[in-house]
Amino acid sequence: MPVLTSPTSLDLDARLAGAGGPAESFKRLSASLWQQRYLSTELLELCRLTLARLHRDEVEIAAVNPHLGARALPVARRAAVLSGNSFRSTEFTPAEKAVLAFTECYALDAQSIADEVAEEAKAHLGESGLVFLIEALGCLDARIRAARCLRDLSAVAGGRHGH
Amino acid sequence: MGTKARASAPARRTGNVIRDSALGRVPETVDEIIALNGAVWQSTLVSPTLLEVVRLRNARTVNCVFCKSVRYEVARNDGLTEERVQLIDGNYQDSSLSEREKLAIALADCYLGFPAGVPPQLAQRLQAEFSVAEIAALLVALMSFNFTSRTAVSIGGMPEEPLPIMLLPVSVTTT
Repeated sequence: MPVLTSPTSLDLDARLAGAGGPAESFKRLSASLWQQRYLSTELLELCRLTLARLHRDEVEIAAVNPHLGARALPVARRAAVLSGNSFRSTEFTPAEKAVLAFTECYALDAQSIADEVAEEAKAHLGESGLVFLIEALGCLDARIRAARCLRDLSAVAGGRHGH
Repeated sequence: MGTKARASAPARRTGNVIRDSALGRVPETVDEIIALNGAVWQSTLVSPTLLEVVRLRNARTVNCVFCKSVRYEVARNDGLTEERVQLIDGNYQDSSLSEREKLAIALADCYLGFPAGVPPQLAQRLQAEFSVAEIAALLVALMSFNFTSRTAVSIGGMPEEPLPIMLLPVSVTTT
């Protein structure tokens, strides 16, 4: 089967557009994640890469995030996240480490997020910031999952495209 | 699972269950979350029964106590009785659920897997049964349900199981 490079979480919306209003709504919600006051765009991108790594999704990892604009993610920070070493890395502030630790726990099992991990994230982000982080992770993870499913569906020969 | 809520609801009550939850603390997103929940049910291309089937499959996989206890009236009125809801379990393939319902559950399981992914043989069956737009509708619904339930679980403060079955109108979250 061919290895498809699209869609990813970053360009998924066109492939969901056939669903109409609900897809439009999810697109607006997703876009709002990148324009808020709680998390920097760079840290949110590191969260996306953390989720992509845990999903073992190489296509998602390779995707270029247009929300970063001209700002490239520092190589060392990106590498630390993709190797799962953000906890030990000196590249991150305590606040960033708290957010990335929460992201890992969220991805593995939302039921099992330890209170200490949540408290640490809340200590840095505040109560509203923690709620936003949880929402953002839910959106990003949902988009990664849906994109992966759509790639698998597209890869199957004889799909009923345009139906 | 955290039994103590990690974030509190806003003090001001509006009557909307989403806005009156901790999600109301984030004004940048709460309006669209409410709109999304309404759109999934009111502007969908698939039947209310199919939506409820994948919603409940998600609820059980994520183990959201609230989501598992809720039943939407629109699906009940579409013919999804409580007896049929009980068929959405580990043995659903051998149940009397329809082929479309079984395939929708299979798609949900693929989406909810870790990592997510659809095996080729199932992909062919899905594309033979559902149109591209219907698959998109099911995926957006799954995205919405999974986002909502994992948000609730992550914020914590879930009650002890089991909760009684709660038959609700969709409007409880949209107005």
